[in-house]
Amino acid sequence: MSAQSTPIVLAQGLSKTYRIAEKQPGLKGTFRHLLRRRYRDLEAVKGIHFAIEEGEMVGFLGPNGAGKTTTLKMLSGLIHPSSGELLVAGAKPQRRQARFLQDITLVMGNKQQLIWDLPPWDSIRVNAAVYGIPEGVMQRRVRELADLLELGEELHRPVRKLSLGQRMKAELLTSLLHEPRVLFLDEPTLGLDVTAQGRVRDFLATYNRRTGATILLTSHYMGDITALCERVLLIHEGALFHDGPLGELTSRLAPHRQVRLELQQPQPRQVFEAFGTVESHQEHQVQLLVPREQLTETVAALLGRFDVLDLEVSDPPIEELMRSLFQQAGENEA
Amino acid sequence: MTSARAAIRIARTLLSTQYAYMLEYRAEIALWALSGVLPLIMLGVWQNSGAASQAGWNPGQLRHYFVAAFLVRQFSVVWLIHVFEEDVVSGKLSPFLLQPLQPLWRYFAAHLAEQATRIPFVALMLLALAWVNPALLWVPTPENLALGIAAIWGAFLLRFLLQTLSSMLCFWSERAAALDRLLVIPYLFLSGLVAPLDTFPPAIKTVALATPFPAMVDFPARLLAGLPVDIGAGFLSLMLWCGLLSPLCWLSWRRGLRRYGAMGA
Amino acid sequence: MRRSRTLSTVLQFWRSSLEAESEYQLNLVLECLAVSGNLAGSLFVLSLLFTGQSTLGGWGWNEALIVLGLYTLLDGFTSCLLQPNLSKIVNHVQQGTLDFVLLKPVDSQLWLSLRCFSPWGIPALLAGVVLVGLGLQRSGTGLQGEALVLGSVLLLSGAAILYSLWFSLAALSIWFVKVWNATEVLRYTLVAGRYPVSAYPPALRLVFVFVLPVAFMTTVPSQALLGQGSWPWAAGSLLMAVGSLLASRWFWRFALRHYTSASS
Repeated sequence: MSAQSTPIVLAQGLSKTYRIAEKQPGLKGTFRHLLRRRYRDLEAVKGIHFAIEEGEMVGFLGPNGAGKTTTLKMLSGLIHPSSGELLVAGAKPQRRQARFLQDITLVMGNKQQLIWDLPPWDSIRVNAAVYGIPEGVMQRRVRELADLLELGEELHRPVRKLSLGQRMKAELLTSLLHEPRVLFLDEPTLGLDVTAQGRVRDFLATYNRRTGATILLTSHYMGDITALCERVLLIHEGALFHDGPLGELTSRLAPHRQVRLELQQPQPRQVFEAFGTVESHQEHQVQLLVPREQLTETVAALLGRFDVLDLEVSDPPIEELMRSLFQQAGENEA
Repeated sequence: MTSARAAIRIARTLLSTQYAYMLEYRAEIALWALSGVLPLIMLGVWQNSGAASQAGWNPGQLRHYFVAAFLVRQFSVVWLIHVFEEDVVSGKLSPFLLQPLQPLWRYFAAHLAEQATRIPFVALMLLALAWVNPALLWVPTPENLALGIAAIWGAFLLRFLLQTLSSMLCFWSERAAALDRLLVIPYLFLSGLVAPLDTFPPAIKTVALATPFPAMVDFPARLLAGLPVDIGAGFLSLMLWCGLLSPLCWLSWRRGLRRYGAMGA
Repeated sequence: MRRSRTLSTVLQFWRSSLEAESEYQLNLVLECLAVSGNLAGSLFVLSLLFTGQSTLGGWGWNEALIVLGLYTLLDGFTSCLLQPNLSKIVNHVQQGTLDFVLLKPVDSQLWLSLRCFSPWGIPALLAGVVLVGLGLQRSGTGLQGEALVLGSVLLLSGAAILYSLWFSLAALSIWFVKVWNATEVLRYTLVAGRYPVSAYPPALRLVFVFVLPVAFMTTVPSQALLGQGSWPWAAGSLLMAVGSLLASRWFWRFALRHYTSASS
């Protein structure tokens, strides 16, 4: 039984360094590589700390190669950390003890675990046997999960005949059969269409509410993160760049907010430059970037000075912020 | 649920699921069965050469031996390394590692299921042989049949353990299957699959008997064919080799997993 | 596509696949070991077949060496070209990437057959040549110009038959997508080519001439190299080579018509 105060995931100084062989291009390099290898160290994760309470829904963000999948695999016990302490559900993941394995599940969007040529029911039965779930309990859980996921006769069709969305839902069902306390989801909505993505997100939110399971997910789709995760861990070049609510991340990345004005009378561009950076200016429509601290007074001033038909204040889209951050990082690396 | 009952349930479910899965691949398995004709081809060569009679074998014994060897091979074939290597390289092994079941059991169940799926095709091939030349087939005595089947099971287990050992190399090298191919060579030539051990010069025969390979084909084939064979020595050899390989497999599995975890699962 | 461009393209393919393969330094050692092991084993079995006998199906020991040598050579050819290329056809079908191949401005059969060159068949090729040379020398025939030419032509014809068999089987994977083992099956059955075809009982001899033409792959070229080539067999071999190449092409076209991409 976990005490209320102990986090279900505790990582301290978590690091992972890979040693990879380097090869020079061209035929000469090939033969040199054949005879004498050269290695270099790749730090995938550099000493990150975080703690996650039971029942939280946390998102791992970061560009490709940032280390988020490595972190997730360390949390699930697949990869051994090079250094640092890690406790998940009170156990060391890399030991992969039976009790720990019963408490977790890993679902990967780009790899499937269901047997391809057989209906999901066969994979479900195997999982039920492996996790020691009694027949009656299995039937009940399948019914409940199938209800939530809107799956019916799909469970009786071979997996290869299901659409990507149905397959993902069946994967989720099979993975949650043993009611794990912690769900590791690696790109769960990869390749799904918009409706399917929405359904999966709804399901995860409902599941978290109903069972109090802790959900850790990585995703490229900001939609997943914004819809599901109250808390975001941004991993950037192997380090933890941000740990906190998504809103905070936005403020941190973008100290500005967007103000969109629709005017009664068109005004020249220079007039607005005093209030902030002009992003776009078209006769009656103006878009400004205003520093957060000055937002209220700037808006008041704008309303007072001009004849404003409509005014909208919003955050720059998070995708853009991410993109510029990672672009910057790419430039720094180069 | 007691752990014995749980284990039986897992075994039952795995086997039935894998059997259903193998049935989807009937055509491929039929082809695999067809690819096991090597002993029959060798029978053709040996029949026409006088060398077998030199070793004291009459044509009938030669025929029965090679057909028995053919059967033994059909039901002791192991393909673990190919699927295992694929699963390691593609990362499919990872989800198996996160379930509270030793992944090797899945592959073992798959092999047993595949053998069950093979039975009708092998039966067909035997019928074809009988049609070509009825003298090729015979009815073994009940003891020979029972002992022969037990020996085939032992040979399968031995080959599975040996290939498990090579498969563990998948964690260190991406070309472990190539290494396993090397092991096929002594299997082909020293096990009695392509030439009866009795035709070997005495020195080489002694060397061969010191390896696990004769236990994989020569011993079960001779039992089935009703040829003179030391039953006790044969089963002892099987047990000793299995006993030697099991702890090695277990040890290399643990080391292999550590390596898998270190290199990125 | 002009011949010079084809040649340079093929060479470029082979250069890049050579680079890709060289990453595995263990392979070189393993391959040499495998070839020597297989050869040692085959020679051992051959010697067993010759105990107390001076001939095997009418062939002497040195002559039988030539047959074995040619088999090893063809095995090397299989490892260099046939195996790496044609086993990929299955992958293409499975992953739906055959579409990309079909969209290229190169003949699909050519592309699929010559795309890769694996250097790992070279040890076997060399071993085969050495064995053939040894057999010819020891049998007293030596290297006679005419015999050499005829033998080489018939060997090429045998190689063409082998290629057609492989390719047709690989094309079969368009129907049976999971038949990644079909070509392995072929490999296991072609081992019959290790021994001269007259070593087999009459019924099997027919099979090895008409059904699985191993006779044309090893026995017929060996006879030619020994100066014992006969016109009927040579003509038959060439006929079968041309016939099987055409058949493989027709079958490929037929298979492509039935081709559908794998689902997402």
